Amino acid sequence: MTPGQTKETGTYRPYGADIKETRPYSPCRAACPAHTDVQAYVGLIAQGRYTEAFEVITSVNPIASVCSMICHHPCEQSCRRCSVDEPLAVRHLKRFALEKSADYRRNKRRLVGKTKNKSIGIIGSGPSGLSAARDLSDLGYGVTIYERHPVLGGMLASAIPPYRLPREVLKEDIDDVISKGVEVRTNCEIGRDVKLEELTKKHDAVLIAIGLSQSRSLNIPGVEGPGVLLAIPFLEDVAFDRRPDLGNKVLVIGGGNVAMDVARSARRLGVRDVSMVCLESAEEMPAWKWEVDEAVEEGVRINHRWGPKEVRRQEGKVQGLEVVKVRSVFDANGRFNPSFDNDQTTLIEADTIIITIGQMSNLSFLKDSPVKIDVRGRLEWNPATQTSSSKNVFVAGEVVTGPGSAIAAVASGHRAALAIHLHLQGEAVEGALPLQEKEKISQMPPEVLEMISREPRLKIKHLAPEVRCDTMTHFEIGYDEEEALREAGRCRGCGGGAVVDTQKCMACLTCQRICPYGAPVVTSVSEIRPEYCQACGLCAPECPGQAISMVSYDVKEISETLPSVVGRVDPKRQEPVIVAFLCTHHVGVFGFDLPKNVRKVPVHCTSRIDILDLLKAFETGADGVAVVRCNDGTCKYRGIEKGVKARVKRGQEMLGMLGMEPGRLELLSAEAGRGGNPWAAVCDDFSGRVKQLGLRAVR
Amino acid sequence: MIVGSQKPIEEIWSMVKDFKKVLVFGCNTCVAICHAGGEKEAATIASLIRMRAGQEGKAMEVNHMGVMRHCEPEYFDPVIEEVKSYDLVLSTACGVGVNFLSDRTGTIPVYPGINTSFYGAVEAPGFFKELCAGCGDCIVHLTGGLCPIARCSKTLMNGPCGGTNHGKCEVSNEVDCVWYLIVERMKKLGTLEKLSEVLPPRNWSTSRDGGPRRVSVEHIREYEEQEAQKPETAGGKK
Repeated sequence: MTPGQTKETGTYRPYGADIKETRPYSPCRAACPAHTDVQAYVGLIAQGRYTEAFEVITSVNPIASVCSMICHHPCEQSCRRCSVDEPLAVRHLKRFALEKSADYRRNKRRLVGKTKNKSIGIIGSGPSGLSAARDLSDLGYGVTIYERHPVLGGMLASAIPPYRLPREVLKEDIDDVISKGVEVRTNCEIGRDVKLEELTKKHDAVLIAIGLSQSRSLNIPGVEGPGVLLAIPFLEDVAFDRRPDLGNKVLVIGGGNVAMDVARSARRLGVRDVSMVCLESAEEMPAWKWEVDEAVEEGVRINHRWGPKEVRRQEGKVQGLEVVKVRSVFDANGRFNPSFDNDQTTLIEADTIIITIGQMSNLSFLKDSPVKIDVRGRLEWNPATQTSSSKNVFVAGEVVTGPGSAIAAVASGHRAALAIHLHLQGEAVEGALPLQEKEKISQMPPEVLEMISREPRLKIKHLAPEVRCDTMTHFEIGYDEEEALREAGRCRGCGGGAVVDTQKCMACLTCQRICPYGAPVVTSVSEIRPEYCQACGLCAPECPGQAISMVSYDVKEISETLPSVVGRVDPKRQEPVIVAFLCTHHVGVFGFDLPKNVRKVPVHCTSRIDILDLLKAFETGADGVAVVRCNDGTCKYRGIEKGVKARVKRGQEMLGMLGMEPGRLELLSAEAGRGGNPWAAVCDDFSGRVKQLGLRAVR
Repeated sequence: MIVGSQKPIEEIWSMVKDFKKVLVFGCNTCVAICHAGGEKEAATIASLIRMRAGQEGKAMEVNHMGVMRHCEPEYFDPVIEEVKSYDLVLSTACGVGVNFLSDRTGTIPVYPGINTSFYGAVEAPGFFKELCAGCGDCIVHLTGGLCPIARCSKTLMNGPCGGTNHGKCEVSNEVDCVWYLIVERMKKLGTLEKLSEVLPPRNWSTSRDGGPRRVSVEHIREYEEQEAQKPETAGGKK
């Protein structure tokens, strides 16, 4: 398929998608459960190609906007920039791309034709249910979603507090899915409103994607009665704006991410005194560090290494929680097996205690159904086929995988959808579902690390704690365009670098000699090692056999688009036509206005400009061609400057051979942050010099 | 390898200017390695011709293409019909390739896009040096591994001439006197006394003096002839 096109099923394939499948993934992509091609979309953002970035993101992730707000971003944790300075702010970049594509996205919503004449009932509309619904709709199946709540989204709608996930954001994702023609039945609980049996009769396949909707409780004295709440009902109250009365002091039991949601929501309900108690130390607690930091900023106190012993009550009213000191949380084998020092106890005062120690599924609707539950009360399933014990009943998401992330549930939903599709088409499912584990590019070698400039991650702004605690409003302030482009430029392009066509390589050593990072190794042919390659693009234009291409962009793109960029050259023009190749790494493609006679060609680094691009600009009628780079100090790819200079010099010599003035081609430098518009200034000066040389005849 | 160098665009223009449809045909082995005539340089030359045609206001279609080698038919056979659809083929292979292709393009002329310079080595990236003259009768075992035929400006076989100057040749200060190098080298190898041996006059018939040369490797020929008897022969490396 032609790169950059959308398949009938709605799956977008960015440039290089096919070759990427044959090579190790970038670590960010390998870490994403849905294998979002982070390198591709960050690269597109860096070029100002936001809607294409949107396509890459949403091709594998139907809850992309949700993830742009709440994802725990394993891509960032695995970013190879971690060894240089800080990981790329992938989640924030995703949010930026999605926000920039809002109109594009709404305009492309379409009903998908039901070509398959089969229908699927999906129980649950959380991440896994929505993902399966989208995939199956795209494949032409009739899909009905059954949701017990009045709104779609599962936990995203009913439990994630709005300060983390604004509901209008969730709605965008849901609208994408629903607009395909998915039938929706809200306020419909299976077992209560409809029997499972009815669904299995009505649909060709049923998918159970109900997640973990029930909180676990504690078996300690005093736990029954008013003043002790469970996390999920509490979060549902928050989500649906039913403000529970919590008193003045709230204590949250638990140290996971849901506990953080509970504590931070309690703060936002006006409770000044919110504390938490958990078994683990600060290092051991399962909540993400940033969640903990943000909660602490908001005044939440955390009591580490205490275990709940008894809820103390006076005349039925909660006084507080008696806790016992934890000796250790994990046993010698690293298993969760807490031990306590019963001599050390204390009382933590509270008016309300909220228990947030884990969740489970409500499987009561499966009673007396052919879908089996094991002795431990879990749904029986086959991970290789995503099936339950009952024919035509499939499973996806946390109901079978256990607690995890939204994006992991998305991945599970995709698998289940593929399993259902294969099954309904009479094909074997076992062995056909893609492997979750992907080979990834290894860490950057030390000699490469040394060559990478430190550029700290662009911190995202938050509402001040005292402001954000008064409201359920989303507290993160997204990047503006300049910030997004700067941050996207930090990406090292892992996996998007050079590849050699071994049919054309004559092992001439040119790439090995020119690469600043030592990536190519030439034996019988050149092999460009992806763990070294920084995707600067310097080698491809040097290859005498045109044997090198780049995974992440089309090396011929500049040359091919130049005629339309230059346009028709007016024989009666007063000002010279200037083609300016601009390094966009530091400045981004946005904003800077150039003189009208300057045709802008943004390039991520001037190392990517081929002598053929320079000649092509003259071929298409340019009077002058400027290569505007940043400078040696700020260049993203240290070591490319000599190559670029040599190319421009050669271009000048060629102009001389053709009887043209070499001064029609110049290598210029501009730098951001010096005030004014340095790009316009250098282009304008150059234009003046070219005008002096005269305008070329148009034939 | 064979080292080539690009021709001035004016010379190329004088060859191609009267043709309507020109293919600049690159060769991706020796001349690619020396950045003279590989696919990349073919593309560059094509661009220059188009610009030159533009300057003259001439409508001309100029494209480029490249194959691994012009000196073996298996490499260009797959594209020969396409090559023959042009009015002119400007081959950026060495002279071997230009000749070889010329014999196989029927009425379509094949002109040289580069100058074939010599047999040489890559002394440094982008710097090539002549080290062999292809005389057909190698004697460098007698001269410390260094060739007086290729590397002496006068092809002297009996030691340096009077123009030797502190290790340099009188032709140019940039040219080493190979006889100086030979003596130094043979001293190091401890074989200097070999130079005092009197050798018979050299037979130049193996060189250009004997007319165009051929080499036939009998066991390969034998195999090929057997293959030719079969209805379908292997196509060779594609």
